[in-house]
Amino acid sequence: MNTLAQLTLDPLPADWQAALARRLGGRPRRLGAWAELALYGARLCLDAAGEAQLPAGVALRVASLSGPMAATRAIAQQARSGLPMPFSFMQSQPSQMLAALGQHLGWQGDARFIVCRDAALTRQLAELESGPAGLLLGWVEEDLRTQWWRLAPRASTASPTSART
Amino acid sequence: MRQAWIAGRGLACTLGRDLAGSMAALAQGGVPARRFELPDGSAWPYQAIADDPATDEADWPLRARRLIQQVARESGALAGGREGALFIASSSLDMGLLETRLDLQRDYPHFAETVAAWLQWRGPVYTVSTACTSGLNALMSARTLLAHGVADEALVLGLELRNRVTVGGFGGMQLLSPTAALPFGAGRNGLVLGEAVAALALSPQPARWRIAGGANVVDGRDAAGSTESAVIAMCEQALAASGLQAHDIDLLKPQAAGGGASDAIEAQALHRVFSPLPPLVSLKAALGHTLGASGVAELALLTACLEGGAWPHSTHAPDPALQAPLATQAPSRVRHLLACILGFGGGHAAVVLEQTSS
Repeated sequence: MNTLAQLTLDPLPADWQAALARRLGGRPRRLGAWAELALYGARLCLDAAGEAQLPAGVALRVASLSGPMAATRAIAQQARSGLPMPFSFMQSQPSQMLAALGQHLGWQGDARFIVCRDAALTRQLAELESGPAGLLLGWVEEDLRTQWWRLAPRASTASPTSART
Repeated sequence: MRQAWIAGRGLACTLGRDLAGSMAALAQGGVPARRFELPDGSAWPYQAIADDPATDEADWPLRARRLIQQVARESGALAGGREGALFIASSSLDMGLLETRLDLQRDYPHFAETVAAWLQWRGPVYTVSTACTSGLNALMSARTLLAHGVADEALVLGLELRNRVTVGGFGGMQLLSPTAALPFGAGRNGLVLGEAVAALALSPQPARWRIAGGANVVDGRDAAGSTESAVIAMCEQALAASGLQAHDIDLLKPQAAGGGASDAIEAQALHRVFSPLPPLVSLKAALGHTLGASGVAELALLTACLEGGAWPHSTHAPDPALQAPLATQAPSRVRHLLACILGFGGGHAAVVLEQTSS
Protein backbone atom coordinates (compact mmCIF):
# COMPACT_ATOMS: atom_id res chain seq x y z
CA MET A 1 0.00 0.00 0.00
CA ASN A 2 1.06 3.61 -0.42
CA THR A 3 1.74 5.66 2.67
CA LEU A 4 -0.20 8.93 2.47
CA ALA A 5 0.90 10.04 5.94
CA GLN A 6 2.71 8.64 8.94
CA LEU A 7 2.77 10.05 12.45
CA THR A 8 4.89 9.12 15.45
CA LEU A 9 4.51 10.75 18.87
CA ASP A 10 7.23 9.23 21.03
CA PRO A 11 7.51 10.56 23.64
CA LEU A 12 4.17 12.28 23.88
CA PRO A 13 4.23 16.07 24.00
CA ALA A 14 3.55 17.28 27.53
CA ASP A 15 0.57 19.34 26.40
CA TRP A 16 -1.01 16.88 24.01
CA GLN A 17 -4.43 16.90 25.69
CA ALA A 18 -4.58 20.69 25.48
CA ALA A 19 -3.48 20.50 21.85
CA LEU A 20 -6.27 18.00 21.13
CA ALA A 21 -8.82 20.30 22.73
CA ARG A 22 -7.55 23.20 20.60
CA ARG A 23 -7.69 21.10 17.43
CA LEU A 24 -11.25 19.92 18.12
CA GLY A 25 -12.48 23.22 19.52
CA GLY A 26 -13.07 21.72 22.96
CA ARG A 27 -12.10 18.74 25.07
CA PRO A 28 -13.98 15.61 23.99
CA ARG A 29 -16.50 14.52 26.59
CA ARG A 30 -16.51 11.28 28.56
CA LEU A 31 -13.41 9.78 26.96
CA GLY A 32 -10.61 8.17 28.91
CA ALA A 33 -6.97 9.09 28.35
CA TRP A 34 -6.38 6.14 26.04
CA ALA A 35 -9.24 7.04 23.70
CA GLU A 36 -8.20 10.70 23.78
CA LEU A 37 -4.70 9.72 22.73
CA ALA A 38 -6.09 7.59 19.90
CA LEU A 39 -8.18 10.51 18.75
CA TYR A 40 -5.21 12.89 18.93
CA GLY A 41 -2.97 10.63 16.87
CA ALA A 42 -5.64 9.83 14.29
CA ARG A 43 -6.55 13.50 13.89
CA LEU A 44 -2.94 14.59 13.40
CA CYS A 45 -2.32 11.76 10.94
CA LEU A 46 -5.32 12.79 8.86
CA ASP A 47 -4.18 16.41 9.02
CA ALA A 48 -0.81 15.30 7.67
CA ALA A 49 -2.60 13.46 4.86
CA GLY A 50 -4.61 16.59 4.06
CA GLU A 51 -7.91 14.94 4.97
CA ALA A 52 -10.47 16.90 6.98
CA GLN A 53 -12.49 13.75 7.60
CA LEU A 54 -11.76 10.06 7.40
CA PRO A 55 -12.98 9.15 3.90
CA ALA A 56 -15.73 6.60 3.43
CA GLY A 57 -14.34 3.26 2.36
CA VAL A 58 -11.32 3.45 4.65
CA ALA A 59 -10.93 0.65 7.19
CA LEU A 60 -9.91 1.74 10.69
CA ARG A 61 -7.74 -0.54 12.81
CA VAL A 62 -6.35 0.23 16.25
CA ALA A 63 -3.95 -1.95 18.22
CA SER A 64 -2.32 -1.60 21.61
CA LEU A 65 -0.38 -3.55 24.18
CA SER A 66 -1.47 -1.32 27.05
CA GLY A 67 -5.15 -1.04 26.14
CA PRO A 68 -7.27 1.35 28.19
CA MET A 69 -5.05 0.72 31.20
CA ALA A 70 -6.19 3.40 33.65
CA ALA A 71 -9.88 2.70 33.13
CA THR A 72 -9.35 -1.05 33.48
CA ARG A 73 -7.52 -0.54 36.76
CA ALA A 74 -10.23 1.78 37.98
CA ILE A 75 -13.11 -0.60 37.32
CA ALA A 76 -11.26 -3.59 38.75
CA GLN A 77 -10.70 -1.67 41.98
CA GLN A 78 -14.22 -0.24 42.03
CA ALA A 79 -15.69 -3.74 41.63
CA ARG A 80 -13.92 -4.95 44.77
CA SER A 81 -15.63 -2.43 46.97
CA GLY A 82 -18.84 -1.68 45.14
CA LEU A 83 -20.04 -1.10 41.62
CA PRO A 84 -18.00 0.17 38.68
CA MET A 85 -18.82 3.70 37.69
CA PRO A 86 -20.66 3.72 34.35
CA PHE A 87 -18.20 6.07 32.65
CA SER A 88 -15.21 4.10 33.92
CA PHE A 89 -16.83 0.94 32.62
CA MET A 90 -17.42 2.48 29.20
CA GLN A 91 -13.89 3.83 29.05
CA SER A 92 -12.51 0.35 29.70
CA GLN A 93 -14.01 -0.88 26.42
CA PRO A 94 -11.98 -0.37 23.21
CA SER A 95 -15.27 -0.14 21.34
CA GLN A 96 -15.89 3.24 22.95
CA MET A 97 -12.62 4.50 21.50
CA LEU A 98 -13.67 3.30 18.04
CA ALA A 99 -17.01 5.05 18.42
CA ALA A 100 -15.27 8.26 19.44
CA LEU A 101 -12.98 8.13 16.42
CA GLY A 102 -15.95 7.60 14.13
CA GLN A 103 -17.84 10.47 15.70
CA HIS A 104 -15.00 12.99 15.67
CA LEU A 105 -13.62 12.00 12.26
CA GLY A 106 -17.04 12.27 10.60
CA TRP A 107 -17.03 8.67 9.53
CA GLN A 108 -19.07 5.44 9.58
CA GLY A 109 -17.38 2.18 8.60
CA ASP A 110 -15.38 -0.91 9.45
CA ALA A 111 -13.48 -0.20 12.68
CA ARG A 112 -11.89 -2.86 14.85
CA PHE A 113 -9.53 -3.20 17.78
CA ILE A 114 -7.35 -6.22 16.97
CA VAL A 115 -3.92 -6.83 18.40
CA CYS A 116 -1.25 -9.49 17.97
CA ARG A 117 1.95 -8.99 19.95
CA ASP A 118 3.85 -9.31 16.68
CA ALA A 119 3.31 -5.85 15.16
CA ALA A 120 4.08 -7.11 11.68
CA LEU A 121 1.23 -9.63 11.90
CA THR A 122 -1.12 -6.97 13.21
CA ARG A 123 -0.26 -4.78 10.25
CA GLN A 124 -0.50 -7.66 7.78
CA LEU A 125 -4.06 -8.45 8.85
CA ALA A 126 -5.02 -4.78 8.80
CA GLU A 127 -3.71 -4.34 5.26
CA LEU A 128 -5.52 -7.46 4.07
CA GLU A 129 -8.74 -5.98 5.43
CA SER A 130 -8.20 -2.46 4.09
CA GLY A 131 -11.17 -0.86 2.39
CA PRO A 132 -11.46 0.45 -1.18
CA ALA A 133 -10.14 3.82 0.03
CA GLY A 134 -7.39 2.28 2.13
CA LEU A 135 -6.58 2.03 5.80
CA LEU A 136 -6.03 4.13 8.91
CA LEU A 137 -3.94 2.10 11.33
CA GLY A 138 -2.87 3.19 14.78
CA TRP A 139 -0.93 1.86 17.76
CA VAL A 140 -1.86 3.59 20.98
CA GLU A 141 0.06 3.01 24.20
CA GLU A 142 -1.47 4.91 27.09
CA ASP A 143 0.83 7.50 28.69
CA LEU A 144 3.71 6.46 26.41
CA ARG A 145 3.43 6.84 22.64
CA THR A 146 1.25 6.58 19.59
CA GLN A 147 1.97 5.84 15.95
CA TRP A 148 -0.38 6.13 12.97
CA TRP A 149 -0.37 5.37 9.26
CA ARG A 150 -2.80 6.51 6.59
CA LEU A 151 -2.38 4.03 3.79
CA ALA A 152 -4.00 4.00 0.36
CA PRO A 153 -4.35 1.29 -2.27
CA ARG A 154 -1.38 1.10 -4.61
CA ALA A 155 -3.18 2.86 -7.46
CA SER A 156 -3.06 6.12 -5.49
CA THR A 157 -0.24 8.46 -6.51
CA ALA A 158 -0.22 10.82 -3.55
CA SER A 159 3.22 11.48 -2.06
CA PRO A 160 3.79 10.53 1.57
CA THR A 161 3.90 13.01 4.41
CA SER A 162 5.69 12.16 7.59
CA ALA A 163 5.51 13.82 10.99
CA ARG A 164 7.44 13.05 14.13
CA THR A 165 7.76 14.77 17.43
CA MET B 1 -8.88 -16.46 -2.98
CA ARG B 2 -9.79 -19.47 -0.88
CA GLN B 3 -13.11 -20.02 0.81
CA ALA B 4 -13.49 -20.49 4.56
CA TRP B 5 -15.65 -23.25 5.99
CA ILE B 6 -16.77 -24.15 9.49
CA ALA B 7 -14.84 -27.31 10.21
CA GLY B 8 -15.96 -27.74 13.79
CA ARG B 9 -17.64 -26.03 16.72
CA GLY B 10 -17.91 -26.23 20.46
CA LEU B 11 -19.99 -24.53 23.11
CA ALA B 12 -20.28 -24.25 26.87
CA CYS B 13 -23.13 -22.04 27.97
CA THR B 14 -26.00 -21.84 30.42
CA LEU B 15 -27.74 -24.65 28.54
CA GLY B 16 -24.90 -27.11 28.99
CA ARG B 17 -21.16 -27.60 29.02
CA ASP B 18 -21.08 -29.01 25.48
CA LEU B 19 -23.16 -28.71 22.32
CA ALA B 20 -25.07 -31.97 22.76
CA GLY B 21 -26.11 -31.00 26.27
CA SER B 22 -27.01 -27.50 25.13
CA MET B 23 -29.19 -28.83 22.31
CA ALA B 24 -30.96 -31.19 24.69
CA ALA B 25 -31.65 -28.42 27.20
CA LEU B 26 -32.86 -26.12 24.43
CA ALA B 27 -35.28 -28.79 23.21
CA GLN B 28 -36.64 -28.98 26.78
CA GLY B 29 -37.32 -25.24 26.86
CA GLY B 30 -34.02 -23.98 28.24
CA VAL B 31 -32.86 -23.40 31.80
CA PRO B 32 -33.94 -20.65 34.19
CA ALA B 33 -31.65 -17.71 34.84
CA ARG B 34 -29.88 -17.50 38.19
CA ARG B 35 -29.40 -14.33 40.22
CA PHE B 36 -26.05 -12.54 40.04
CA GLU B 37 -25.56 -10.62 43.27
CA LEU B 38 -23.45 -7.47 43.36
CA PRO B 39 -21.67 -5.88 46.32
CA ASP B 40 -24.28 -3.15 46.63
CA GLY B 41 -26.95 -5.76 47.33
CA SER B 42 -28.59 -5.60 43.92
CA ALA B 43 -29.12 -8.80 41.93
CA TRP B 44 -29.83 -9.43 38.28
CA PRO B 45 -30.97 -12.43 36.26
CA TYR B 46 -27.91 -14.10 34.76
CA GLN B 47 -27.56 -17.10 32.45
CA ALA B 48 -24.54 -18.73 34.09
CA ILE B 49 -22.65 -21.82 33.04
CA ALA B 50 -23.46 -24.43 35.68
CA ASP B 51 -20.50 -25.31 37.85
CA ASP B 52 -19.15 -28.84 37.76
CA PRO B 53 -19.98 -30.15 41.27
CA ALA B 54 -17.07 -32.59 41.13
CA THR B 55 -14.43 -29.86 41.03
CA ASP B 56 -13.63 -26.55 42.66
CA GLU B 57 -14.95 -23.96 40.28
CA ALA B 58 -14.61 -20.99 42.59
CA ASP B 59 -11.09 -20.63 41.23
CA TRP B 60 -11.64 -18.37 38.20
CA PRO B 61 -8.57 -19.31 36.11
CA LEU B 62 -8.98 -23.01 36.83
CA ARG B 63 -12.61 -22.91 35.71
CA ALA B 64 -11.76 -20.81 32.64
CA ARG B 65 -8.98 -23.16 31.65
CA ARG B 66 -11.18 -26.24 32.00
CA LEU B 67 -14.04 -24.73 29.99
CA ILE B 68 -11.79 -23.38 27.24
CA GLN B 69 -9.88 -26.62 26.82
CA GLN B 70 -13.09 -28.63 26.68
CA VAL B 71 -14.75 -26.34 24.11
CA ALA B 72 -11.65 -26.13 21.92
CA ARG B 73 -11.36 -29.91 22.03
CA GLU B 74 -15.05 -30.27 21.09
CA SER B 75 -14.47 -28.09 18.02
CA GLY B 76 -11.85 -30.51 16.73
CA ALA B 77 -9.26 -27.75 16.41
CA LEU B 78 -6.85 -29.41 18.82
CA ALA B 79 -6.56 -32.49 16.64
CA GLY B 80 -4.48 -30.61 14.09
CA GLY B 81 -1.07 -29.02 14.27
CA ARG B 82 -2.31 -25.98 16.23
CA GLU B 83 -0.16 -23.77 14.01
CA GLY B 84 -2.92 -21.70 12.45
CA ALA B 85 -4.32 -18.44 13.74
CA LEU B 86 -6.01 -18.28 17.13
CA PHE B 87 -8.50 -15.48 17.71
CA ILE B 88 -9.71 -14.62 21.20
CA ALA B 89 -12.88 -12.55 21.07
CA SER B 90 -14.12 -11.05 24.31
CA SER B 91 -15.29 -7.85 25.93
CA SER B 92 -14.18 -8.80 29.44
CA LEU B 93 -11.18 -11.12 28.84
CA ASP B 94 -9.95 -12.16 32.32
CA MET B 95 -11.74 -9.44 34.28
CA GLY B 96 -13.08 -12.09 36.64
CA LEU B 97 -9.51 -12.74 37.71
CA LEU B 98 -8.35 -9.12 37.72
CA GLU B 99 -11.16 -7.94 39.97
CA THR B 100 -10.30 -10.50 42.63
CA ARG B 101 -6.51 -10.50 42.50
CA LEU B 102 -5.87 -6.97 41.20
CA ASP B 103 -2.95 -8.29 39.18
CA LEU B 104 -2.88 -5.30 36.85
CA GLN B 105 0.70 -5.45 35.61
CA ARG B 106 -0.09 -7.67 32.63
CA ASP B 107 -0.69 -6.16 29.22
CA TYR B 108 -3.68 -6.47 26.92
CA PRO B 109 -2.66 -9.54 24.84
CA HIS B 110 -1.57 -11.46 27.95
CA PHE B 111 -4.83 -13.32 28.51
CA ALA B 112 -5.09 -14.49 24.88
CA GLU B 113 -1.52 -15.76 25.11
CA THR B 114 -2.39 -17.55 28.34
CA VAL B 115 -5.28 -19.25 26.56
CA ALA B 116 -2.91 -20.23 23.74
CA ALA B 117 -0.56 -21.80 26.29
CA TRP B 118 -3.47 -23.72 27.85
CA LEU B 119 -4.26 -25.10 24.40
CA GLN B 120 -0.60 -25.63 23.47
CA TRP B 121 -1.34 -23.49 20.43
CA ARG B 122 1.77 -22.63 18.42
CA GLY B 123 0.36 -20.24 15.82
CA PRO B 124 -0.14 -16.48 16.07
CA VAL B 125 -2.63 -15.21 18.64
CA TYR B 126 -4.94 -12.25 18.06
CA THR B 127 -7.11 -10.46 20.62
CA VAL B 128 -10.29 -8.92 19.23
CA SER B 129 -12.25 -6.61 21.50
CA THR B 130 -15.07 -4.68 19.90
CA ALA B 131 -17.63 -5.33 22.65
CA CYS B 132 -20.62 -7.40 21.53
CA THR B 133 -19.40 -7.66 17.93
CA SER B 134 -16.04 -9.17 18.95
CA GLY B 135 -16.96 -12.72 17.94
CA LEU B 136 -18.26 -11.91 14.48
CA ASN B 137 -15.36 -9.54 13.81
CA ALA B 138 -12.91 -12.25 14.84
CA LEU B 139 -14.68 -14.69 12.55
CA MET B 140 -14.35 -12.29 9.63
CA SER B 141 -10.68 -11.67 10.33
CA ALA B 142 -9.99 -15.40 10.58
CA ARG B 143 -11.73 -15.81 7.23
CA THR B 144 -9.46 -13.11 5.79
CA LEU B 145 -6.31 -14.98 6.82
CA LEU B 146 -7.60 -18.22 5.33
CA ALA B 147 -8.78 -16.55 2.14
CA HIS B 148 -5.35 -15.03 1.49
CA GLY B 149 -3.49 -18.20 2.35
CA VAL B 150 -1.83 -16.65 5.39
CA ALA B 151 -3.24 -19.41 7.60
CA ASP B 152 -4.35 -22.94 6.79
CA GLU B 153 -6.55 -23.24 9.84
CA ALA B 154 -8.02 -20.89 12.40
CA LEU B 155 -9.75 -21.22 15.72
CA VAL B 156 -12.08 -18.47 16.85
CA LEU B 157 -12.88 -18.55 20.56
CA GLY B 158 -15.59 -16.34 21.97
CA LEU B 159 -15.16 -15.96 25.72
CA GLU B 160 -17.37 -14.22 28.23
CA LEU B 161 -16.97 -15.49 31.77
CA ARG B 162 -18.50 -14.33 35.02
CA ASN B 163 -17.30 -11.10 36.57
CA ARG B 164 -18.83 -8.35 38.66
CA VAL B 165 -17.56 -5.51 36.49
CA THR B 166 -19.63 -6.45 33.46
CA VAL B 167 -22.87 -7.06 35.35
CA GLY B 168 -22.31 -3.95 37.47
CA GLY B 169 -21.38 -1.87 34.45
CA PHE B 170 -24.46 -2.80 32.46
CA GLY B 171 -26.60 -2.51 35.58
CA GLY B 172 -25.22 0.95 36.25
CA MET B 173 -26.17 2.01 32.75
CA GLN B 174 -29.72 0.74 33.36
CA LEU B 175 -29.55 -1.69 30.43
CA LEU B 176 -30.43 -4.87 32.34
CA SER B 177 -33.84 -6.46 32.75
CA PRO B 178 -34.89 -7.21 36.33
CA THR B 179 -37.04 -10.07 35.07
CA ALA B 180 -36.28 -11.81 31.76
CA ALA B 181 -35.04 -11.25 28.22
CA LEU B 182 -37.93 -10.87 25.75
CA PRO B 183 -36.35 -10.54 22.29
CA PHE B 184 -38.63 -8.49 20.02
CA GLY B 185 -41.26 -9.13 22.69
CA ALA B 186 -44.12 -7.13 24.17
CA GLY B 187 -43.13 -5.66 27.52
CA ARG B 188 -39.41 -6.17 26.95
CA ASN B 189 -37.39 -4.25 29.51
CA GLY B 190 -33.71 -4.92 28.98
CA LEU B 191 -30.91 -7.43 28.57
CA VAL B 192 -30.12 -10.55 30.54
CA LEU B 193 -26.41 -11.26 30.44
CA GLY B 194 -24.93 -14.72 30.12
CA GLU B 195 -21.69 -16.67 30.14
CA ALA B 196 -20.34 -18.58 27.17
CA VAL B 197 -17.21 -20.19 25.86
CA ALA B 198 -17.72 -20.90 22.17
CA ALA B 199 -15.50 -22.12 19.37
CA LEU B 200 -15.66 -22.15 15.61
CA ALA B 201 -12.83 -23.90 13.81
CA LEU B 202 -12.28 -22.69 10.25
CA SER B 203 -10.66 -24.50 7.36
CA PRO B 204 -10.20 -23.99 3.62
CA GLN B 205 -11.45 -27.55 3.16
CA PRO B 206 -15.13 -27.73 2.12
CA ALA B 207 -17.61 -28.60 4.85
CA ARG B 208 -21.31 -28.10 5.45
CA TRP B 209 -21.26 -24.36 6.25
CA ARG B 210 -19.36 -21.79 4.20
CA ILE B 211 -18.76 -18.24 5.42
CA ALA B 212 -20.16 -16.43 2.40
CA GLY B 213 -19.43 -12.89 3.56
CA GLY B 214 -19.94 -10.31 6.23
CA ALA B 215 -19.73 -6.68 7.21
CA ASN B 216 -18.81 -4.52 10.17
CA VAL B 217 -20.11 -0.98 10.51
CA VAL B 218 -19.23 1.29 13.43
CA ASP B 219 -21.32 4.40 13.90
CA GLY B 220 -20.27 6.59 16.80
CA ARG B 221 -23.40 8.74 16.93
CA ASP B 222 -24.84 6.50 19.67
CA ALA B 223 -21.97 5.01 21.61
CA ALA B 224 -24.33 2.87 23.71
CA GLY B 225 -26.49 1.42 20.97
CA SER B 226 -27.42 0.96 17.36
CA THR B 227 -28.58 3.35 14.67
CA GLU B 228 -31.02 2.56 11.88
CA SER B 229 -28.78 3.71 9.04
CA ALA B 230 -25.89 1.60 10.32
CA VAL B 231 -28.09 -1.51 10.60
CA ILE B 232 -29.18 -0.97 7.00
CA ALA B 233 -25.60 -0.41 5.84
CA MET B 234 -24.46 -3.52 7.70
CA CYS B 235 -27.12 -5.71 6.05
CA GLU B 236 -26.55 -4.28 2.59
CA GLN B 237 -22.78 -4.62 2.82
CA ALA B 238 -23.00 -8.18 4.15
CA LEU B 239 -25.33 -9.16 1.32
CA ALA B 240 -23.10 -7.50 -1.29
CA ALA B 241 -19.99 -9.17 0.12
CA SER B 242 -21.79 -12.50 -0.17
CA GLY B 243 -23.04 -11.86 -3.70
CA LEU B 244 -26.65 -12.11 -2.53
CA GLN B 245 -29.89 -10.16 -2.57
CA ALA B 246 -32.18 -9.70 0.41
CA HIS B 247 -34.63 -12.31 -0.90
CA ASP B 248 -31.85 -14.94 -0.86
CA ILE B 249 -31.80 -14.99 2.95
CA ASP B 250 -33.80 -17.93 4.28
CA LEU B 251 -33.27 -17.27 8.00
CA LEU B 252 -32.31 -14.13 9.90
CA LYS B 253 -30.87 -14.08 13.40
CA PRO B 254 -31.15 -10.48 14.59
CA GLN B 255 -29.46 -9.05 17.66
CA ALA B 256 -32.88 -8.82 19.40
CA ALA B 257 -31.41 -8.58 22.89
CA GLY B 258 -34.62 -7.36 24.48
CA GLY B 259 -33.93 -3.66 24.83
CA GLY B 260 -36.93 -1.39 24.46
CA ALA B 261 -35.51 1.11 22.01
CA SER B 262 -32.73 -0.99 20.51
CA ASP B 263 -35.03 -3.81 19.39
CA ALA B 264 -37.39 -1.26 17.83
CA ILE B 265 -34.56 0.45 15.90
CA GLU B 266 -33.26 -2.89 14.67
CA ALA B 267 -36.68 -4.17 13.58
CA GLN B 268 -37.44 -0.94 11.75
CA ALA B 269 -34.14 -1.12 9.88
CA LEU B 270 -34.63 -4.79 8.99
CA HIS B 271 -38.01 -3.96 7.48
CA ARG B 272 -36.25 -1.39 5.27
CA VAL B 273 -33.87 -4.06 3.93
CA PHE B 274 -36.10 -7.15 3.85
CA SER B 275 -39.62 -7.04 2.43
CA PRO B 276 -41.04 -9.30 3.68
CA LEU B 277 -38.84 -10.28 6.60
CA PRO B 278 -37.41 -13.79 6.33
CA PRO B 279 -38.12 -16.16 9.25
CA LEU B 280 -36.51 -14.81 12.43
CA VAL B 281 -34.78 -16.71 15.20
CA SER B 282 -33.37 -15.48 18.51
CA LEU B 283 -31.24 -17.36 21.01
CA LYS B 284 -30.94 -14.52 23.54
CA ALA B 285 -33.71 -15.82 25.78
CA ALA B 286 -32.01 -19.20 25.94
CA LEU B 287 -28.34 -18.13 26.19
CA GLY B 288 -28.59 -14.65 27.64
CA HIS B 289 -26.60 -11.94 25.92
CA THR B 290 -23.09 -13.35 25.95
CA LEU B 291 -21.55 -10.08 24.72
CA GLY B 292 -18.21 -10.62 22.96
CA ALA B 293 -18.85 -14.35 22.72
CA SER B 294 -22.36 -13.99 21.37
CA GLY B 295 -21.58 -14.10 17.65
CA VAL B 296 -19.61 -17.32 17.96
CA ALA B 297 -21.91 -18.89 20.56
CA GLU B 298 -25.10 -18.16 18.66
CA LEU B 299 -23.70 -19.41 15.34
CA ALA B 300 -22.39 -22.59 16.96
CA LEU B 301 -25.77 -23.33 18.53
CA LEU B 302 -27.87 -22.21 15.57
CA THR B 303 -26.03 -24.31 12.99
CA ALA B 304 -26.23 -27.29 15.35
CA CYS B 305 -29.97 -26.68 15.76
CA LEU B 306 -30.50 -26.56 12.01
CA GLU B 307 -28.61 -29.81 11.59
CA GLY B 308 -30.12 -31.55 14.58
CA GLY B 309 -33.72 -30.44 14.39
CA ALA B 310 -33.82 -28.57 17.71
CA TRP B 311 -35.41 -25.13 17.81
CA PRO B 312 -35.61 -22.48 20.55
CA HIS B 313 -39.00 -22.19 22.21
CA SER B 314 -40.29 -18.65 22.20
CA THR B 315 -42.92 -18.46 24.90
CA HIS B 316 -43.26 -14.69 25.18
CA ALA B 317 -45.71 -12.61 23.20
CA PRO B 318 -44.25 -10.69 20.28
CA ASP B 319 -44.46 -6.91 20.22
CA PRO B 320 -47.13 -6.23 17.58
CA ALA B 321 -45.63 -2.81 16.87
CA LEU B 322 -42.44 -4.40 15.55
CA GLN B 323 -44.17 -6.80 13.15
CA ALA B 324 -41.24 -9.14 13.69
CA PRO B 325 -42.47 -12.36 15.27
CA LEU B 326 -39.95 -15.12 15.91
CA ALA B 327 -40.36 -18.34 13.93
CA THR B 328 -41.92 -21.14 15.96
CA GLN B 329 -40.11 -23.83 14.00
CA ALA B 330 -37.13 -24.12 11.72
CA PRO B 331 -37.68 -23.18 8.08
CA SER B 332 -37.97 -26.23 5.87
CA ARG B 333 -34.96 -25.12 3.86
CA VAL B 334 -32.10 -22.88 4.92
CA ARG B 335 -29.42 -22.26 2.37
CA HIS B 336 -28.39 -18.78 3.49
CA LEU B 337 -28.64 -17.41 7.00
CA LEU B 338 -27.73 -13.91 8.10
CA ALA B 339 -26.57 -13.48 11.70
CA CYS B 340 -26.40 -9.98 13.20
CA ILE B 341 -24.82 -8.70 16.38
CA LEU B 342 -25.24 -5.07 17.40
CA GLY B 343 -23.44 -3.63 20.32
CA PHE B 344 -22.13 -1.23 22.79
CA GLY B 345 -19.87 1.29 21.08
CA GLY B 346 -21.96 1.67 17.96
CA GLY B 347 -20.86 -1.69 16.53
CA HIS B 348 -22.98 -3.44 13.92
CA ALA B 349 -21.69 -6.74 12.50
CA ALA B 350 -23.26 -9.41 10.32
CA VAL B 351 -22.11 -12.66 8.78
CA VAL B 352 -23.78 -14.72 6.04
CA LEU B 353 -23.43 -18.50 6.19
CA GLU B 354 -24.25 -20.75 3.27
CA GLN B 355 -25.34 -24.33 3.90
CA THR B 356 -23.98 -26.34 1.04
CA SER B 357 -25.47 -29.72 1.98
CA SER B 358 -28.25 -30.90 4.22
